[in-house]
Amino acid sequence: MSEISSTAKLTTDAGASPARSRAEALGALVPIALKLRDLVVLLLALVTLLFVLLPLAGDPAQVMAGMDATPAQIDAIRAKYGFDQPWWVQYFRYWGNVLQFDFGESLASGQPAMEVVLTHLPATLLLTFLAMGFTIAVSVPLGAWLGFRPDAVTRRIGAWLVFFFQGVPGFVFGLVLIQIFAVNLRWVPSLGYETPAAWILPTLALSAFLVPKLTRVVAANVAEAMREDYVRTARAFGATRREILWRHALPNALLGAAALIGTQFAFLLSGTVIIERIFSWPGIGWLLIERTQTLDFPVVQALAMLIALMVFAVNTITDLSFRYLDPRIKGTN
Amino acid sequence: MAIALADSRTKRAQTRIRSYLTAEIVTGAVLGTLVLSALIFQPLLITHDPMAGDLFARFQPPGTDGHILGTDELGRDIWSRVLAGLTWSMSAALVSNLISFVIGTALGLLAAEMPGLVRTIIRQLIDTVLSFPGLIVAICVITVFEQGFWPLVLTLGFLTWPVFARVVYAESLTLLERDYVQNARLIGVGRVRTLTRHVLPGLRPTLMVMLAFHFADMLIAESALSYLGLGAPLGEPTWGNMLAASRDKLIFAPWMMLAPAGAIVMAVVTTNFVGDGIAALSRRQGKGIDQ
Repeated sequence: MSEISSTAKLTTDAGASPARSRAEALGALVPIALKLRDLVVLLLALVTLLFVLLPLAGDPAQVMAGMDATPAQIDAIRAKYGFDQPWWVQYFRYWGNVLQFDFGESLASGQPAMEVVLTHLPATLLLTFLAMGFTIAVSVPLGAWLGFRPDAVTRRIGAWLVFFFQGVPGFVFGLVLIQIFAVNLRWVPSLGYETPAAWILPTLALSAFLVPKLTRVVAANVAEAMREDYVRTARAFGATRREILWRHALPNALLGAAALIGTQFAFLLSGTVIIERIFSWPGIGWLLIERTQTLDFPVVQALAMLIALMVFAVNTITDLSFRYLDPRIKGTN
Repeated sequence: MAIALADSRTKRAQTRIRSYLTAEIVTGAVLGTLVLSALIFQPLLITHDPMAGDLFARFQPPGTDGHILGTDELGRDIWSRVLAGLTWSMSAALVSNLISFVIGTALGLLAAEMPGLVRTIIRQLIDTVLSFPGLIVAICVITVFEQGFWPLVLTLGFLTWPVFARVVYAESLTLLERDYVQNARLIGVGRVRTLTRHVLPGLRPTLMVMLAFHFADMLIAESALSYLGLGAPLGEPTWGNMLAASRDKLIFAPWMMLAPAGAIVMAVVTTNFVGDGIAALSRRQGKGIDQ
């Protein structure tokens, strides 16, 4: 299917005038312009939301000054940070700070808030990449196996089990893993992240969020690809089913799987928050829970902004690269 | 002749009924009925007051003194607390599901019906909320407001409506092009009536399946937030709270974790199977129309 449409495109391109190809080149920039608009709107919404939520949580001057501060001290802090200014002055000043990635100092340690967040980022990235790697390593072969002959009895049972596992939330799975492998069998530690042995359970628990979903997508894509016309043609020319799986069906299915992983990145980051909490993994999710409890709002704001930007970047890269890779998407909006 | 006709009619009815008895539909119906009856007959099934503790009977393993699933750190009966948690989880998931369904469907229909500025704004809104880091925003919002039923369900509802809006928008666009909708317009049926009477019924199969799977997502989100201490008020018998309470007691009281964990898995798996059953049912009915 993809080969056919790309050759069709080539023939029309050959006959196009220079003006038309220039228009097409400009047209290729439209998705990027739209993404920039999305980014502006996202920032506007998020910054405004954070700006509105902050004072609702309590008087920030009071929190900064501490419990036993005198009214004079609180007023001094209010004047120093500009909390006595009208709201729109504060709002624009806030924007100025956000654009410089300056969220103020952590109320707990006095370090710049963004610095605190960035020191915890590597742990989260490690966990996310481990989980993604494990998810792909399990889901792709399993999905290909399930989708290759979806009506065979063992594979139907397999598909049923995968569907069952989709109903097991990753954090519940994580707790059960701790119970079995850390508490009862004592094979691996349940906390910390210094030794690679301690990485195993968090990785498995975080993978549980995505493995069933991805397996089902790969299986469905492989099963669908096996029914395509070009597969029948290849069969007619003497290719074995196995060759077809590796050369045609699986590459097609992987494209869909990669798209899913890209769009599920935000979901995975949300998953890390609770997994990090369970395993005391010192990443940004753990930091988020800890700092919301102590009302360390500069750090929470820096976190929210960093995570939103990361999710946006991954979604945009996935979306744009698929627009250029897969000719089938170009026509659709 | 008449007998043969009647015979073939009953045979046809039989095969029709049999065609509904697929694995997906039966599993969904049976599991759904089980959970629903647990919800309805809960007062009969509860053996102890879920809030009343007995400090002389703390950490009792399952099966002792009529405590089917044992007791927790305050000597409260876990079986009764798991059952009481069913009400909380089901109502939280149901209400947040409905909030996101109503907002999402309304905005999705509106975007399909009104091209131009309204559509652009709604689509931008969908994209923005979808790229929001949902759980993080939920944590911030619930920390700022108090934890409780309404902050929880409103946050979940307002963060997840784009799931419905996107699908409703895309499907309504094709439905609005259909002849029967165009004809309704031609004979002067108004906009609101066209959408509610002619477009919305066409969306029903899709929406039913989405409601079921979204319900499962809301169950997970609710228990996760409660586990983090951001959902149900502390002490309330909910599965998330019970899991949180079991955190440092896994070594000597694993049943405190396993009972609510099993309940969450059972509820989510049931909902998934019900969703799968509804999907199979609407596929079958769709086939019936085509024939």
